[in-house]
Amino acid sequence: MRVEAGQELPELVKHPTTRQLVQYAGASGDFYEIHYDQEFARSVGLPGVILHGLLKAAFLGQLVTSWLGSHGRLRSLEVSYRGLDLPGRPLHCRGRVRSVEGSWAELELWTEDAEGRRTTVGSATVELEAG
Amino acid sequence: MSSVVERLRARLGWEGEERSSPIEAGHVRRFVEAIGDPDPRWQTEAPPTFVVALGQETPELPEALEYGSGWLNGGDRFEYLEPIRIGDVITSRTRFADVFEKHGSSGGLLFLVFETEYRNQHGRTVVRSRGTRIRR
Repeated sequence: MRVEAGQELPELVKHPTTRQLVQYAGASGDFYEIHYDQEFARSVGLPGVILHGLLKAAFLGQLVTSWLGSHGRLRSLEVSYRGLDLPGRPLHCRGRVRSVEGSWAELELWTEDAEGRRTTVGSATVELEAG
Repeated sequence: MSSVVERLRARLGWEGEERSSPIEAGHVRRFVEAIGDPDPRWQTEAPPTFVVALGQETPELPEALEYGSGWLNGGDRFEYLEPIRIGDVITSRTRFADVFEKHGSSGGLLFLVFETEYRNQHGRTVVRSRGTRIRR
């Protein structure tokens, strides 16, 4: 696989639903009510239930591992949650190769909401297989 | 509010109990379905953020609850040394690594940083994670 600085990763578009947030709460063990109880979410000043930050991290992990396939390994993943994302809205997961040095590549990652706001920003390091 | 930070600072270095978790196929499958990642690779291996589902011990920090009215997740970092496979037994321990306060336009924010190291049944570190949780 050819990996070059500036190259964009194929976009991954997710369509999170409240049902998915409940699924994720159950599978991850994060039962904070802001992710499935509308009334509770509004009582703490949120516009409604919001996506788990770590669910967005999982989406960005998928963006990288599905692109890499068997051509390399994910060595680090770092995400910073900047904005709220609500279920029922598409979330665009995107990435770009920032630099390549030998068999290592640094990626820039982000999630973008329907208005083009970067609600999660992050980075990843991947180790590419020779050949 | 700053006294909360001082009291929390005194708890830095706190470590949770070690916790051992067998990596179960059914748990990984439910996690993979929840995140919606169809890669068949996750039939034998745990996806990148699965370690968060192992329920690492986080310290009881009642002081933190005196600050603000709710929690937000600030960010997460994962370092991957070796894959985690179904059938592995992963031992983890979480450490309270840092606390600081920031003042923004909408008031103060309290940042708490936790670090967790995950080791497999061979005693090798497989993942290190660092999570930043915010009180606001």
